[in-house]
Amino acid sequence: MSKNTASEQAILFDSLDPDRIRVESARKLALETGRTRLLVTGVVLCLAFAALAVRLAELTAFGIPPGVRLASLSPHNKPITARADIRDRNAMLIATSLPTRSLFADPRDVMDIEEAALKLGALLPNLSAEDVRHKLALGGRFQWIARNLTPTQVYAVNRLGLPGFSFRDGERRVYPFGPIFAHVLGYTDVDGRGIAGVERAFDEKLSEPVAPGETRGIDLALDLRFQTILREELAAAQQRFSAVGAAGVVIDAKTGEVLAMASLPDFNPNEPEQALGKNGFNRATKGVYEMGSTFKLFSTATALDSGAVSIADGYDTSEPIKAARFTINDFHGKKRWLSVPEILVYSSNIGTAKMALEVGAKKQKEYMRRFGMLSPAAIEIPEVGHPLYPERWGEISTMTISYGHGIAVSPLHVASGVATLVNGGVMHPPSILKRDANSLIVEERVLAPKTSATMRALMRLVVRFGTGKNADVKGYRVGGKTGTAEKQVGGGYSEDALVSSFVGAFPMNDPRYVVLVVIDEPKGIKSSFGFATGGWVAAPAVKSIVGRIAALTGMLPQDVSDEEPIKPGTPFYIPARATQPAPKIALGGIARAAH
Amino acid sequence: MRHSNVFAQSQMSVGQKLIHMHWFFILLLSLTAVIGFAMLYSAAGASFDPWASRQMVRFVLGLMGLMVLAVTDIRLWLRYSYGIYFVVLALLIAVEVAGFVGMGAQRWISFGIFNIQPSELMKIAVVLALARYFHGGSLEEIERPTYLVPPILLVIVPAVLIVRQPDLGTTLMILLASAGMFFAAGVRMWKFALVGAMGLAAAPVAWFYVLRDYQRSRILTFINPEDDTLGASYHIIQSKIALGSGGLFGKGFLQGTQGHLNFLPEKQTDFIFTMLAEEFGLTGGLILLALYTMLLVYGFSISISSRNHFGRLVGMGVTLTFFLYVFINIAMVMGLIPVVGVPLPLVSYGGTAMLTILLGFGLLMSVHIHRDLVIGRRDSGDDL
Repeated sequence: MSKNTASEQAILFDSLDPDRIRVESARKLALETGRTRLLVTGVVLCLAFAALAVRLAELTAFGIPPGVRLASLSPHNKPITARADIRDRNAMLIATSLPTRSLFADPRDVMDIEEAALKLGALLPNLSAEDVRHKLALGGRFQWIARNLTPTQVYAVNRLGLPGFSFRDGERRVYPFGPIFAHVLGYTDVDGRGIAGVERAFDEKLSEPVAPGETRGIDLALDLRFQTILREELAAAQQRFSAVGAAGVVIDAKTGEVLAMASLPDFNPNEPEQALGKNGFNRATKGVYEMGSTFKLFSTATALDSGAVSIADGYDTSEPIKAARFTINDFHGKKRWLSVPEILVYSSNIGTAKMALEVGAKKQKEYMRRFGMLSPAAIEIPEVGHPLYPERWGEISTMTISYGHGIAVSPLHVASGVATLVNGGVMHPPSILKRDANSLIVEERVLAPKTSATMRALMRLVVRFGTGKNADVKGYRVGGKTGTAEKQVGGGYSEDALVSSFVGAFPMNDPRYVVLVVIDEPKGIKSSFGFATGGWVAAPAVKSIVGRIAALTGMLPQDVSDEEPIKPGTPFYIPARATQPAPKIALGGIARAAH
Repeated sequence: MRHSNVFAQSQMSVGQKLIHMHWFFILLLSLTAVIGFAMLYSAAGASFDPWASRQMVRFVLGLMGLMVLAVTDIRLWLRYSYGIYFVVLALLIAVEVAGFVGMGAQRWISFGIFNIQPSELMKIAVVLALARYFHGGSLEEIERPTYLVPPILLVIVPAVLIVRQPDLGTTLMILLASAGMFFAAGVRMWKFALVGAMGLAAAPVAWFYVLRDYQRSRILTFINPEDDTLGASYHIIQSKIALGSGGLFGKGFLQGTQGHLNFLPEKQTDFIFTMLAEEFGLTGGLILLALYTMLLVYGFSISISSRNHFGRLVGMGVTLTFFLYVFINIAMVMGLIPVVGVPLPLVSYGGTAMLTILLGFGLLMSVHIHRDLVIGRRDSGDDL
């Protein structure tokens, strides 16, 4: 009580003492300042709460702000988009993606490395305890442990209850038809990026985000059925002749669409590690070979189309051509004058070389360029080989190139060029994508329609009377040309290592399909009389393919009675006599192969 | 004069003082606490056990403590301000030493049935000490830079001790609340600017030598939350998802999936606001914010209407501390600031924060009851 009074008096005295008045007013000023500042602080703090309210409204009523979508819960910044499907020309699914989950670890959070290693090693196939130990020892904050687990495996791993391990959603590329489309389709790496074939060529398009409701995918020109037939027949031929490899192409003669393309040995793209080494090599597009006699088709067409040679001309093939240190010989030597059709039918190197000399190097090169032989195949997939041809295209080169030596191209080049020969003379760049009515088709005229018609007749003659007899399918007017080239081994040519091929088209009165089969290093067998040449090795394969494709597409056999016979005196007359080479040469071939 | 209001006020009996209590304020904070009980009931999966029941007991006990503080003569608080401050500082040092001796990072002192976190008490103790100091200073004195050295030490010493614990949230709150009090006491603005600039200059040093790894990662996460969705930003992203799923009116009481499926970390403590917003949507969140704003406004109006500088500063300090709790917590769960472990006052589960807030409000009530009491600048309350 008294204390209070004293304090009150102090206040009273304060206010009465003139010396203190100044102090008092200062105190008042301090109070005023304090009051103002309190007011300011209060208002600011209320505004801060208002800001919270605004943010709250933004978060709740206006949904989750951009950047915080559910997708961002997956640990990767980029949402994983499903890779688009790839379909064949009949909309069969040939590559698709399935969702999977992959196991990873944050090594820092793993409590007991030994326990984790033993349990996971025992649980998952293809994963040993040692692997797990090693991966966890690498440190960092992220280590893949096992990719693409099945739901059952995910469940089992979760049941282990190991800390530090989590799953990341992903997807796995699946190729329902396994190795059938191996090289042409390619494959993806573990992160789902295309690294070969169509997968690589169209990687960007395949990984594009998809609009809702859109069915995404790429439609290929390939036909699953054609592809299956081609691959089976190639494999059969490869096995029968113990060949190191084989390649084949079926293209639509009128559009350049690649209906089937295969290369052996191949691999299963579902297990891309199989594609390492030789198996991953696409012989059909990446490999370039001296194709041998199949090139005579282009030489003959060039000679006729350029006007340098007439169909009624003839050449002396009785003497080998000697030029510098080369001697040009005929394998099926007739040792006489041969007409132009006979030169092709009997596959005379001498005759073809003489015709090429009349055309000349410059024109020949120009035609080769127009056939597309001097640049990599214009197909979409990235695995294309660059053709090899001489820098100096002299007289000798002109002669050897005319029968397919001294120039190396891919099998696809030959198939595409033959399509031009038979379709009326128009070049279509080969396409792996399906073409429809809206597609812009690039075409370039290479030959006069008349030349193309003559070539169709000549190709048919080769199969009727010449080296291509083994390719004939009754009623389907198969035409074509064999090729047998010796492979270059070291500096020279090896007689044992052949590249044997047959390129055909059918039906020759209006060709729809071009079929090419190339067998790499076939070995002669008894049923081929020891021969490993194109006519004995590749032509029968083409025959099987043609027969099966014809049956598959419902193509009816034609009445071919109009073909018989050709009268002597017309340019296409081929004297009726044995055109098969004598077996003894063939047996020599076996003997050579044996040592 | 003897019968003036001033005289009457210091003579009030406890009963009279209780009548003069700001009952509407008590009602507001009780309502807020009830929302907390409901959320804790929901967080436990429609069960009073283990959180809601204990929280209720604590609230009732805390409310009783508040009453006791409220009716205590404010001059008593003035007199014992420094005493309280140094006792709490001693406790803080004791915790530090105990932790140093080998008990790891320890923030608690156990008194058997309840634990005391000295750093929480320090929030109030600093407010009292600063209020006492500035109460005794004239405006001229405040102009003198040397005059500011003791109060800065009053703040820095506990702040250093607490940041070493390490408890960034509490340190931040003490620093900000103190800054507010310096401001209210009349310290010139350019001095704040100077300190701010020095702080910025010191930031790199703090980054490399003071902050712990987890604190750095929280700040980095705040800057770019999508960088580390499984790590430190997991909480915030889950929190934002929960908020976003709340919508205008929420999923309904007990229906919040993020909370009940344990996507939300610490849903009963630091992230309880998220749970509320998930179950009651924007509406629920705004109602709670409105309650907090009203408490804030009344806190300031009580402070401003105090006729003594000490009461004004205490009220301001307490209200500011309360504001910081609310703001830091809500801004944190909404991803506006980095994750700092600050509970939501009166709602989050936890005894110490509840005690701090209710004791602080007890002082505020005391300020209110003794609002018309004029205390001289040199009066230290010793003659009470």
